[in-house]
Amino acid sequence: MFESLQHLITGFGIAGTIQNLLYCLIGCIVGTLVGVLPGLGPIAGIALLIPATFGLNPTSAIIMLAGIYYGAMYGGSTTSILLNVPGETASVITCIDGYQMAQKGRAGPALAIVAIGSFVAGTIGIFGLVFLAPPLAEAALAFGPPEYFSLMVFAFIVLSNVTGTSLIKSLMMAIVGLIIGTIGLDPVTGDARFTYGSVSLLGGIEFVAVAIGLFGIGEVLVNINQPSEMLDRGVLVPRLRELFPSLQDLKKSTGAILRGTGIGFGVGLVPGPAPVIATYASYMTERRISKHPEEFGKGAIEGVAGPESANNSACQSAFIPLFVLGIPFAPPTAILLGALLIHGVSPGPLMIGQHPELFWGVIASMYIGNFLLLLLNLPFVPLFANILRIPKRILMPLVILFCITGMFTVNNSVFDIWMMLVFGAMGFLMRKWAYEGAPLLLALVLGPKLEVAFRQSLMISHGDFGIFTNRPVSMVFLLATVIFLLIPVFRILVKSLKKGGR
Amino acid sequence: MKRDEAIVGVVIFLFGLITTVLSLKMAIGTFRIAGTGMFPLILGILLVILSGTFVLKISLQGKERQVKKEASIESSESPRALILFLGTMALVTLFFNKLGYPLSALLLMLALLRILGVKRWTLTLPLSFMTAVVCYFLFVHWLKIPLPKGWIGI
Repeated sequence: MFESLQHLITGFGIAGTIQNLLYCLIGCIVGTLVGVLPGLGPIAGIALLIPATFGLNPTSAIIMLAGIYYGAMYGGSTTSILLNVPGETASVITCIDGYQMAQKGRAGPALAIVAIGSFVAGTIGIFGLVFLAPPLAEAALAFGPPEYFSLMVFAFIVLSNVTGTSLIKSLMMAIVGLIIGTIGLDPVTGDARFTYGSVSLLGGIEFVAVAIGLFGIGEVLVNINQPSEMLDRGVLVPRLRELFPSLQDLKKSTGAILRGTGIGFGVGLVPGPAPVIATYASYMTERRISKHPEEFGKGAIEGVAGPESANNSACQSAFIPLFVLGIPFAPPTAILLGALLIHGVSPGPLMIGQHPELFWGVIASMYIGNFLLLLLNLPFVPLFANILRIPKRILMPLVILFCITGMFTVNNSVFDIWMMLVFGAMGFLMRKWAYEGAPLLLALVLGPKLEVAFRQSLMISHGDFGIFTNRPVSMVFLLATVIFLLIPVFRILVKSLKKGGR
Repeated sequence: MKRDEAIVGVVIFLFGLITTVLSLKMAIGTFRIAGTGMFPLILGILLVILSGTFVLKISLQGKERQVKKEASIESSESPRALILFLGTMALVTLFFNKLGYPLSALLLMLALLRILGVKRWTLTLPLSFMTAVVCYFLFVHWLKIPLPKGWIGI
C-alpha cells in the first residue's frame, strides 16, 4: 500500500510538469466539448484526436486521450439535462430526471451536482484504482461467459424495473433492441444476418443513430407535434441564485453520490459497457431506497447525482482491466488500447514494471484532470443553463442540425442519418404510446455480447444449461434476477392483500 | 387509448413473428453448436410470448385505461408541421452529399425555422447563414471532420 502511495507521488511529479498539465487541460476541454455535442461521444473524440498525438511521447499522449474520455463523461450529461439528447451512452439515464429538472427551471442544480458528483466519484475511483487494482483485476479474471451472460440478463431485468411504465412493456422493448442488435454479421460465425445484401447493414445498426434518433429527434418531434402556442411557452429559466444546488439538494445527493461511486467502481471492473450498466444500476438503487420513489422520473436530484457519479467511477475503474490485463472491456478503453499500441506500449501485467512513468503518470493526471473538470464545469453552469433561454422555435432546428452533423461524423455515412431519422420517428411513436427507449438502447449495446456469452457458455457445457446455475457467481446473478422479477409481483400481492384487509 | 395500445401490441407481436419466421430460414444448429439463426429465433419466440400476453391482458381489461399523463403527448391541432419537418429532414439527407455540408446546413436551418413559424426573412436568413458558417468552421476546419463538400466544393 505504501509502495503504491510512493508510486503515486512519483506519478504526480510526472503529471505535474507544465507540458503534461497542458495536455491534460486540452484533453479535458476537448472531451467536455465532445461530450456536449450530441453524437460526438468519447469514442469518436478519442479516435479523431489519436493522429494529433503522434508527435507526443506516450505518457503525454495517453494523458491527453484519457482526458478526452473522462471529459466527455462530464460533458455528455449537459445535453442530456438541457436538451434530452444524451451526449454519450452513459448519459441516457440522466435524461430521465435531469431533463425534467431542467423543464422545472432546475437545470443549474442538475448541472452543478453532475460536476460535484463526478469529481467526488472520480477522486474515490482513482484511489480505488491505485490501491485495489491488482486484487480486483484477479477477481474480474474469474468471469467467464456464463457469469457474463447472467450479469447481462440481470442488467436487463434491473433496467426494466427502473423504467417507470410497465415491466412487460420495458421487457418487450429490450427484446426488440436485442433483435435489432442481431442485424449485421453473426459475432461467432461471421455470417450475414437480416442484411438482405445491404453493405451498410453488415456492420449492424449504428448505436449512435438509435440513441440520437430515439431521444434527440424523438424529443424534437414530440415538441413540434404540440399546439403552436406550446412552442412559445419557454421552459423555466433559473435565476442566478437558483443555478447552484441548495443545501437540501446537497444533502439529498450526498448518499446518492457515494452509493453511485461504489456501484460504478464495482461494475467498471466487469466486462461490458460498464458506465452504462453502472448508471442504470445506480438509478435503480436510488429509486428503490428512496422515501419518495414517485419523484423519480419527475426531476429527482438523486436520479441525476447517483448515475452520474456511477458513470465517472466506472470510467476510472475500467482502466484496471485495460492497464493490468491489457483487455479493454468497453469501446472507449478499446480505442485507448489502440492508442497505447500505436505508441509502442503493450498494456498487461508487465506494463506497470516496464512503463511505470506512464502508468502512474496517467493515474495522477486523472486526479488532476478531475479537478480541472470541476473548475471548468462549475463556472460554465450559468452559460450552459442559458441554452434554455433560446426560443424553442430556434433551438429545435439547431438541435436537428447538430444531430445530423454528429451522426454523419461517426462513420461518414448518410445511411446512418437515415437510420437516425427512422429511429427518431419510432422514438416519437414510442413516446406517444408510453414505451421507454432506454431498455431498447441498452439491449442494442449488450445484444452482441450477450449472444456471444450465451453461445460460448453452451459450447463449453456441450449444450447443458446447468452451466448457468452450477457456477456460483452466475448463480448469484440469476437469483438476483429472479428476485427483481418477483418484486413487482410481490408488490401487487401486498397491495391486493391490503385492499382485501380493509 | 386501450385500442391504440392493443394495436401497438399486435404490431410488436407481428415483429416477433416475422423475426421467428425469418430466423427459421437461417441455420439453427443445436444448443451445443448454435447456428446463426438460434439467437434471433429465441428472441422472436420470447417477443411473441410477451406481446401476446400484453395484448391478451389489454383485451381482458374491462374498463378504459388511462395512460399516465406525463407519458402521453398533447396532440397537435394539425400534424402538418410534423410532416413538413420530417419531410425536410429526409430531403436534406437525400441530397446531403450533393449539396455539401455548408449548403445543407443553411437550407435545413432556413426551412425548419420557417416551418416552425419564424417567418421574418430578416431573422431566418442571417440566423441560418451564421449557423451554417459557425458549424462549418467548428466541424470542418477546427475538428477536421471530413464532411461532404458537394458541388460548391468547400
